[in-house]
Amino acid sequence: MPVSITTRAAVCRVPGQPWEITELELDDPKANEVRIKFFAAGLCHSDDHIQKGDAPMRLPVVGGHEGAGVVDAVGDAVTRVKVGDHVTCSFIPACGQCRYCSTGRQNLCDAGKNAGTGMFPDGTFRFHQNGEDFGGLCVLGTFSQYAVVHEFSVIKIPDEIGFDVAALVACGVPTGWGSAVRAGGVRAGQTVVIYGAGGVGSNAVQGASLAGAKNVIVVDPVEFKRKMATTEFGATHAFATAEEAHQFVVETTWGELADVAIITVGILHDEVIANAIKVVGKSGQVTITAVGNGWVNENPGMLIGYQRRIQGSIYGGCSPLVDVPLLIGLYQAGKLKLDELITRRYALDEVNQGYQDMLDGKNIRGVIIHEH
Amino acid sequence: MSITTRAAIARAPHVGWEIADLQLDEPRAHEVRVKLMAAGLCHSDDHITTGDAPIRLPVVGGHEGAGIVESVGPSVQRVKPGDKIVCSYIPACGACRPCSTGHQNMCVKGLNAGTGMFEDGTWRFHLGDQDLGGFCTLGTFSQYAVVSEWATVPLREDFQDIPWETLCLVGCGVPTGWGSSVHAAGVQAGDTVVIFGAGGVGSNAVQGARFAGAKNVIVVDPVEFKREMATTVFGATHAFATAKEAHEFVVETTWGQLADHVIMTPGAVTEEMVSAAVMMTGKGGKVTITAVGHINERAVHFHGGALIGYHRQVRGALFGDSNPLYDIPMLLGLYKSGDLKLDELVTRKYTLDQVNQAYQDMNDGKNIRGVIIHEH
Repeated sequence: MPVSITTRAAVCRVPGQPWEITELELDDPKANEVRIKFFAAGLCHSDDHIQKGDAPMRLPVVGGHEGAGVVDAVGDAVTRVKVGDHVTCSFIPACGQCRYCSTGRQNLCDAGKNAGTGMFPDGTFRFHQNGEDFGGLCVLGTFSQYAVVHEFSVIKIPDEIGFDVAALVACGVPTGWGSAVRAGGVRAGQTVVIYGAGGVGSNAVQGASLAGAKNVIVVDPVEFKRKMATTEFGATHAFATAEEAHQFVVETTWGELADVAIITVGILHDEVIANAIKVVGKSGQVTITAVGNGWVNENPGMLIGYQRRIQGSIYGGCSPLVDVPLLIGLYQAGKLKLDELITRRYALDEVNQGYQDMLDGKNIRGVIIHEH
Repeated sequence: MSITTRAAIARAPHVGWEIADLQLDEPRAHEVRVKLMAAGLCHSDDHITTGDAPIRLPVVGGHEGAGIVESVGPSVQRVKPGDKIVCSYIPACGACRPCSTGHQNMCVKGLNAGTGMFEDGTWRFHLGDQDLGGFCTLGTFSQYAVVSEWATVPLREDFQDIPWETLCLVGCGVPTGWGSSVHAAGVQAGDTVVIFGAGGVGSNAVQGARFAGAKNVIVVDPVEFKREMATTVFGATHAFATAKEAHEFVVETTWGQLADHVIMTPGAVTEEMVSAAVMMTGKGGKVTITAVGHINERAVHFHGGALIGYHRQVRGALFGDSNPLYDIPMLLGLYKSGDLKLDELVTRKYTLDQVNQAYQDMNDGKNIRGVIIHEH
């Protein structure tokens, strides 16, 4: 007979209200589901978009879609992991069977369709409070000590990897790294401009650098992030404004402009899209990874004359089942910096302070360390 | 010695084409004088007279042409007098960065397309003391033109018997359409492809998508004649008058997965069309924009989220991402083998004096392509 447990979680009931810490009932895992005891959760900007009302989703919701922990219980028929395995959560599941999984594009897995409701495929929810159902963001909810998730959303990690860095390798890291390497297709010798060097953009910098870009140029108004980009993550140049970066690109490429521009700002807006389109040259690509109320607004000639392209990017075009282990391997080999991404650690109760610090530009990434 | 040539020129937007006798200089270094035999009536020239293409005026119209090399300047290597050639509306110098990396469609020598000025800062067409450029530094609406040798594509021995009206189209409309499907979009076998606009460019996008093995080649065009040509001649599997009907069909036939590609080859791209195209492409899908829009309309206007969630791409395509020196002979080879239909593209032939009537017919939807046959 299933027995539910109690878990402390940060929830959002109404947009605009701070995250609220509350106790929820959590069901046992059903078939193909696992319960995870979380040890760490990343504070990604996407959760803030929900709390601010920029990303409309079903409420109330348990926040958090970056998380790592230990499998605590499994439902029937689970094959990917077993109790005791260390795992990280992928914010998009990979079913391995839909059209997109079958053609090397797990970032587009059809099983990701409930990200905005947190509902399971059978139409039910696992988090409850006084008869009310709560979804977890991306059908995860890592701002909870425990969560029940689908086995398609978990990826086994080596036991020796810290939970704090492991929490980041299934959203912010592949989303940024892949924006350069997969969706951006950066190649040796190219000139790349990256707008926004936070928890996603810092990894775009690392990806472009590892792919051999000659110029990895960061645009970020925050001095601390520019400094981290150039001293830790491999940027060759950093500027506070798009205008300064544009002038430099014109000079350094003898007017041929950049090969790739990557948008990883906190909130997408019209101006950064227009700047990115202008900064790429013939056959150049703009990769849009950031979300927000930004619009593309151009005469077709801007795309046709120089044959520019604009690529939307989810998960950086990465396939989680192959790229998350790959990124962990790069970290272990010293070719990817993850510890340096974590600026501050917070208790669950400090989640609102964590987001305030993010908005104040103090953090590359903040991480919640769950208490048990 | 300069010669006199009859040409259709535009002095200002909105006043139509005017037939005038111009003086034409001799070719200088790396230039050739061409006796033009046929010129295609592409929509881009019409964008000049409507004011949608802001270029230096006055201008000699025409950027699709085929003819015979009449004389050459010093140092010309690619062709010799007497050679039959096709004009490429973008030159291919073979030495700049784009040419050196497989992107002849973006050759840096194409930079004077909007002025018709030659590299030394001079012009070859003159009317009294006024200099005229040729559109795309060509000007094929003239009996004769001086063009850069980089804008000429010589014809192999087995292409010598191809009619002039067919030849002139492979310098712009055919590779632009074909390449939009095959090169720029990268259509693959089994794909579902929607093509907006089935005129002189779009008909070739249809042929390219069909040849690349697309399962569904779906045309959207308000003109019944073009829809019929697309399905009966060029290989479209379905044709609809409106984007809404096409969208409904795409939803049904793909079980909601939507199209892999939308290719935009209408007369002029509008915001409504671009938005419909984005919403018609599925996960990982691509919108390829080939047609230009109205000068003051930011037709590429949609929310960034429309690209991110489905990982869609919107791209521009110039010359269909084709390499003129490779793709033009390749396309003529497909024509010779019966795999590419070119004669069927030419709906009507006109004399130079009928150029305004020809553009009226185009705007009335009567032609897939009209062609001027030059008199000599």
